[in-house]
Amino acid sequence: MPINLLEQFSDAMAARAAAVQGAVAAIRLPEERYLSATLWAPDAAVASEQSLPRGDEFELVVADGTVVKAKLAGRDPGTNIAALRLERPVDLPSLENAEPKAGALALAFGADGAGGVRARLGIVNIAGPQWTSRHGGRIDRYIVLDLSLARAEEGGPVLDARGACLGISTFGPRGRVLVIPAATVERVLPALLKDGSIARGWLGVALHPVAVPDALQAQAGQQAGAMVMSLAADGPAAKAGIIVGDILVTVNGAPARSLRRIAAELAPDRIGRTVELRLIRGGALLSLQATIEARLA
Amino acid sequence: MSAAALKVVVGEKRLRVSIHGEDPEAVAQLRRLVEEAGHEVVDAPEAGFAAAPEAEPRALLTPRELEVLGAIGEGLTNKAIARRLEISLHTVKFHVESLFRKLGARTRTEALAKAAERRVDV
Repeated sequence: MPINLLEQFSDAMAARAAAVQGAVAAIRLPEERYLSATLWAPDAAVASEQSLPRGDEFELVVADGTVVKAKLAGRDPGTNIAALRLERPVDLPSLENAEPKAGALALAFGADGAGGVRARLGIVNIAGPQWTSRHGGRIDRYIVLDLSLARAEEGGPVLDARGACLGISTFGPRGRVLVIPAATVERVLPALLKDGSIARGWLGVALHPVAVPDALQAQAGQQAGAMVMSLAADGPAAKAGIIVGDILVTVNGAPARSLRRIAAELAPDRIGRTVELRLIRGGALLSLQATIEARLA
Repeated sequence: MSAAALKVVVGEKRLRVSIHGEDPEAVAQLRRLVEEAGHEVVDAPEAGFAAAPEAEPRALLTPRELEVLGAIGEGLTNKAIARRLEISLHTVKFHVESLFRKLGARTRTEALAKAAERRVDV
């Protein structure tokens, strides 16, 4: 009998889905909705932080269809990871971590809400380098998938053809499907389980990139800065005397037009230190001192 | 239409609604109405986990354009923006066109969404 390659391919994928089922859970939400989670340890699950509603206790439907209660252990908007601690341990398949390769097959799994899985097939569209999220978190790889995902499937595991885990799925802008790399989850999860949050330096300002007015470019030494759009009451920037409408030029010498550079100045080890903020106000340059605080969880 | 009338139309079931539209004033009004009727307004699907924006020099907004954008976000019309900033209607239109070009937006709502992607909280 001739070998049916297509059937073999199909059977192999269905076997993958069956094998990964134990690592997928549904987080119950109000009105019979749910969100997917990936079990990362027998007693710990991770989900997409941006889509997990506020709350301290959740119910997880695990692979055998039973419900396990879980407490929110911590959430980190910086890396978009929420950690849940299960009340009782569950059996889960052991998954190796995978390295993303552009063009390689990717299988994304989500929960079906009753203990089963939903599956999606696509390829890795982009396997880029490390990046910094809008909330200042460091993500180990920039992974974009060429597949579509339902809202409820967000947060489930994404596997490569070998069956190793690339990370967990999440939505980027305009419905793009991104992967939070397994390496990022492994870096952040222990801290979330231990402390409930990721300590990160904080200035307490909302910034928008802005052109430095022509007349001040030479003096500022830059063509771009960041305008202060709003201030956290009693935040470090407010205490330093920053007001809405100021144009930040540098934070401790790092150009304010690059959030990556600012994020580096706000690393956890900078909490409690004083930084120099150079800014433009009313057509003149001035300099203020701010003390970096820990971002409130 | 009132919030009470909206309740009659959709009943007691709580809905999650996302609102899209060309006219920010109408969007803001509808948002208030929907929330008063006890439904939840969720962010448009444009939102999502995103990279820190990197400023491209040619697409940078000027301080004045940011002011105009802020007024658009409050739902002000061009006329109202002109009054607020004490500039001519012609100048407001000039700033709005420049904003659209730099943000790659065709509507006021789209301009607000694209601008929100550039904003960071640190």
